[in-house]
Amino acid sequence: MNDELAISKLIPIIAPFLVIQLILMVIAITLCIKAEATRGPKPMWILIIIFVNIVGPVAFLIAGRRNER
Amino acid sequence: MSKGGKKGGTSRYGALLGKEMLELARSMKLVWVPLVFVALGIMQPVSIYYMPLILEHGGNLPEGTVIEMPMPLPSEVMSGTLSQFGVIGILVLVLVYMGVVSGERSSGTASLILVKPVSIMAYLGSKLTAMLLLALLSLLCGYLAAWYYTDLLIGKFAFGEFLGSFLLYGLWLAFAMAATLLFSTILRSSAGAAACVLVLLALLSIAANLAPHFAGWLPGALNSYAAQAANSTIEYTDVFVWVIVCTVLLIAGAYALSCTLLRNSATID
Amino acid sequence: MSTLLEVSGLSRSFGSVQAVNGIEFSVGEGRCVALLGPNGAGKTTTIRMLAGLLKPTSGAIKYAGQSERADVREGIGYLPQSPAFYPWMTGLEFAVYAGKLCGLGGREAGRSAGEWLERVGLKDAAKRKIGGYSGGMKQRLGLAQALIHRPKLLIMDEPVSALDPVGRREVLELIRELKRETTVLFSTHVLHDAEELCEDIIIINKGDIALQGSLEGIRNSYRKPIIELTMEPDEGSSRWARELVASVAAGQGGSNPLLADAMLQGNELRLSVREMEEARSHLLRSIVDNEVKLVRLQAGYSTLEDLFMKVVRI
Repeated sequence: MNDELAISKLIPIIAPFLVIQLILMVIAITLCIKAEATRGPKPMWILIIIFVNIVGPVAFLIAGRRNER
Repeated sequence: MSKGGKKGGTSRYGALLGKEMLELARSMKLVWVPLVFVALGIMQPVSIYYMPLILEHGGNLPEGTVIEMPMPLPSEVMSGTLSQFGVIGILVLVLVYMGVVSGERSSGTASLILVKPVSIMAYLGSKLTAMLLLALLSLLCGYLAAWYYTDLLIGKFAFGEFLGSFLLYGLWLAFAMAATLLFSTILRSSAGAAACVLVLLALLSIAANLAPHFAGWLPGALNSYAAQAANSTIEYTDVFVWVIVCTVLLIAGAYALSCTLLRNSATID
Repeated sequence: MSTLLEVSGLSRSFGSVQAVNGIEFSVGEGRCVALLGPNGAGKTTTIRMLAGLLKPTSGAIKYAGQSERADVREGIGYLPQSPAFYPWMTGLEFAVYAGKLCGLGGREAGRSAGEWLERVGLKDAAKRKIGGYSGGMKQRLGLAQALIHRPKLLIMDEPVSALDPVGRREVLELIRELKRETTVLFSTHVLHDAEELCEDIIIINKGDIALQGSLEGIRNSYRKPIIELTMEPDEGSSRWARELVASVAAGQGGSNPLLADAMLQGNELRLSVREMEEARSHLLRSIVDNEVKLVRLQAGYSTLEDLFMKVVRI
């Protein structure tokens, strides 16, 4: 009873994080696939982007690409 | 190296800024950096509100333990959010912009741009403008998200306090961006520039905390003033005005120094 | 012919290395000038100083008709050796951006960018990202962005040296067209490119000007009669050739009034002669006397290549 209550209350709270994670993931994966040169192998980055919440995509967006500037 | 006609000068600044904004949009930075701030902004009120629940489920507490935790004030949650921005938010912004000048110089693009009749003031000015826009937009998005969730979960937070703390914290971010521009102009290595900026910002914040009487007029004090503004207990002393004046002057100084250094450097690219 | 650019006493050192050592030259309006020299001669350093990207240690660069306060960059188009663009922009976007930076209005920049991209053959690729361009396409985009504001002087650093033969040909043809409309100064280490395009050449070596002038003038005044010999690789012929080279080198003309210079490469002997008729008959007699097994003998005149090699070897 108590647990059910907690989960139903948690959903609206977790939802925005999931949405943010999803958007960051889509952006990072798109840019990763399109990137000419990444620091380290692309499959590794894609795994990091998918499995490390929020931090994974951000790490790729900041440090993952070579000479994009 | 004159600037050319006044009209020409502004339109070239416009073209340069247009390119900077297009780059922000194309690289999706205009989306993902604010999103990181939004995540940070939501995190603070949510984690505070659910702290008892999290402890109850995660901690190895005996059955039936009732956790009594006083719910913090909305203003405390909001100022806590600002300190979240102060660590991870600033880190992201500085890392995003660490190569703002050095990157273009080392790739050789700067040599294509600066042989055109554009002034160095317009060139660096457009970059600083784009940096400030991204930083303030991110802060606004993140802080609005924090406000919404604080309001939803914890309690009312007044608009005046929101605006005051937003502006003070925005000034601190603006200073961080101006420092990034300066170090990216001085140093060829973007990682080195990022390290210098982060150390400088950390030193300023620590100094303002440890010795408010000596370092209270430096930009580092903006952190605590923004937190005070959120708590609506700001002490409007003489020093408060000086912090603002001093920070604005330092931002202008960092910009002017960047221009001078780039203009007088032996090689532009 | 009026002078467009006047360079005097231009020097640049990097630490203790003197990259450019007080060079002086001028560029006439409407001329095509090649800055010729081997790698490391100081060509790129000179070009970068002319474009305002590098401050000279000393010396002056004067553009004609420019007052002291005016921005000299208004009149210059510059193409670096391998231009670096923003890979996320399209070719058209970059050309328009370059036009706006040169002070063109939005509509004018768009029109001019379209025209130039068409001229350099990038019309079809104009809306593609520069990140996907080939080396030759980038070089042609580089030309378009350098010319967008119709500069009086187009400065290029090794415009074709990084390109494959096809790209090289395309860019050379473009420059040949462009030089009718504007003054062109470019650096190269390939004499052939300079000969093909230019009216004037400036040969620099180790930071100094070794030789400068109009191509025709240099060709005429440095034209020397030469004789080239090819022999069979047998012992007797080689010894004869070595002795001949040694006598020229030792005497420096004293003992051998006919030959100014001799150079032996494998079985080929190159001789600079002072007087063709006498030298030829003397040589032929010597060949018969020494039973040299001659394969080929050719009398002619020295080429620019010979001069270039000689000047640069010093």
